[in-house]
Amino acid sequence: MRLVRDLGRRKLRSTLTITGIMIGIMALVVFGSMANKIDALVKGGSDYYKDKITVSAKGGFMGLGGVLSTRMVAQISPLKGVDVVVPGVSMLLSDEVSGVSMGTPSMIQGSVANADQGREKFAMHYATGRALLPSDEGSNVVVLGSDLARQKKAKVGDTVTLRNVDFKVVGILEPTLTAPDNSAMVPMVAAQELYVKTLPALVADKLNTYEIATGLVVYPKPGTDPEAVANEIDAKVAGISTMTGKDFDQQIGAATSMLNAILIGIGLLSLIIGGLSVINTMAMSVAERTREIGIKRAIGASRWRIRREIVIESAIIGLIGGLLGLALGFVITTMGNDAGRESSTILFDLTFGTAFSSVAFATILGAAAGFVPAWSASRLDPVTALRYE
Amino acid sequence: MAILEGRNLRKTYRLSRKNTVEALKGVEVVIEKGEMVAIMGPSGSGKSTLMHILGLLHAPDPNHGPAPELYIGGENMASLSDNARTKIRARRMGFVFQDFNLVPTLTALENVTLACDYAGIGGKQAKQAGVAALALVGLADRADHKPSELSGGEQQRVAVARALVNKPEIILADEPTGNLDSERSAEILALLRQFNREHGQTIVLVTHDSEVGEACDRVIRMRDGRIRTAITGAGAPVMAAPAVAVPA
Repeated sequence: MRLVRDLGRRKLRSTLTITGIMIGIMALVVFGSMANKIDALVKGGSDYYKDKITVSAKGGFMGLGGVLSTRMVAQISPLKGVDVVVPGVSMLLSDEVSGVSMGTPSMIQGSVANADQGREKFAMHYATGRALLPSDEGSNVVVLGSDLARQKKAKVGDTVTLRNVDFKVVGILEPTLTAPDNSAMVPMVAAQELYVKTLPALVADKLNTYEIATGLVVYPKPGTDPEAVANEIDAKVAGISTMTGKDFDQQIGAATSMLNAILIGIGLLSLIIGGLSVINTMAMSVAERTREIGIKRAIGASRWRIRREIVIESAIIGLIGGLLGLALGFVITTMGNDAGRESSTILFDLTFGTAFSSVAFATILGAAAGFVPAWSASRLDPVTALRYE
Repeated sequence: MAILEGRNLRKTYRLSRKNTVEALKGVEVVIEKGEMVAIMGPSGSGKSTLMHILGLLHAPDPNHGPAPELYIGGENMASLSDNARTKIRARRMGFVFQDFNLVPTLTALENVTLACDYAGIGGKQAKQAGVAALALVGLADRADHKPSELSGGEQQRVAVARALVNKPEIILADEPTGNLDSERSAEILALLRQFNREHGQTIVLVTHDSEVGEACDRVIRMRDGRIRTAITGAGAPVMAAPAVAVPA
């Protein structure tokens, strides 16, 4: 309590210093939450892609791009190391992608339920309703990702419109923090029917709607190296490109770790500035209290006591700044996510770890910043300090 | 029995590279247990320096001339570390200063219990001792006031309470009445005298004020870094030896 009262002695200066720390921690919390979100997206992708090979039309990427055919299943299945091949149709939910968006765009994903024969290891949990079934083929039903469901304010049993076609919601997923959150999963046939309408009539006329696939997911035989299987497919099948978990990690992981480093760097930079202002505040406060330190030393306070007092006081500055910064960061990330929900742009993921480590870091920074002034205070000669005016 | 005994006490302050001040030029002093002694002398005579050395705030110079000796209750303190000296100040001494020197953010009671805290006494015990010490100086009803809410005389009484709270063997006071009018000075002096009589505490005070000196058992007069003479409380010279002060 005494230490808190000491802070109250110079209200303006303490407030400014705490504000400095607060802004630094706020930046760390906000950028850290952004980095968390990116990490979760990438990790989700990395987990999803690690045990499979995604086949797209040449020049396409991750199942988007040109049109393939379900007949390719027969072409790929006999290849060495191939276990199960699942064709699918992916398309953007809307052709109008608004501006630059972080994360994954909203997608419609179609494939026949259970076609993976239990090979898919990426677990999806249902908040309400049920998964798609093979018997859903031919009917317009949909399972919505958590963000998409919130954006469309849809519940199980509601009807939602996807690309001008009505679908009945049968299930809603739990948040995964990655791609499925923004996806609408529909039966294969429904997806094919939606997809063909996006094509120019000239192209569409030449295609059999019910053979359309935009990508194929290849599950290698257990114990087989996905890289080797991908090479085999690349070599034997024309007009396609393959992507493995390793490719994903290299392309996406490298780019995002750079981005994360920049984000965290900005946060740390603002904290270093905040830390310097704590040193300044505490140094001035020690100079002002020279006489008082002299009294305390004279009546028996050890050097260690004086140091402890100043270090704790500056740690409290750090702690208060850290808590306020966390509160502000929480408000900003929550408001940002609420604002972004309309456009399915969830930018922030404020985890307990980020919150705790930001506040802990602010406190440690405050204590560390107090060390230099604390040291000089403890070296004061009590007699000289008592005479100090 | 001597509680404070110093020999060959010298102190040279270095103000800058070329400018040094020889504040104490080899002083010998003996203060008996239960004495109330005034150290008097003109400015620059070394009286405060002597008090700082006796109060372990400064160590005597160790390295020119014969080795200094400083005994408190028979133990040699001349070459103790800063930490050890701090501990003795906290537990065995009380200090009163000219400018009251209270901590402005703390209440009267907290200022008093700060001394308990440094002496290793905390909690209820410290609070009880603090309240008792404030009652002794007649400020029981001002315990929760900040120094800025107290008069000069009251602040000095809080400082006296702080010096007394641990019942130290020795109280050192540097111009304790220097900033007070004659009425308040008399109050403080009477308080110190009362504790000296009732509890047998040894009191050493530095003063300019000859009235204060007369109220003490003995006066040690200093000039130019040396002890000039010792005078009894009645004002009669007992001993004219230039460097040794012997109690009456």
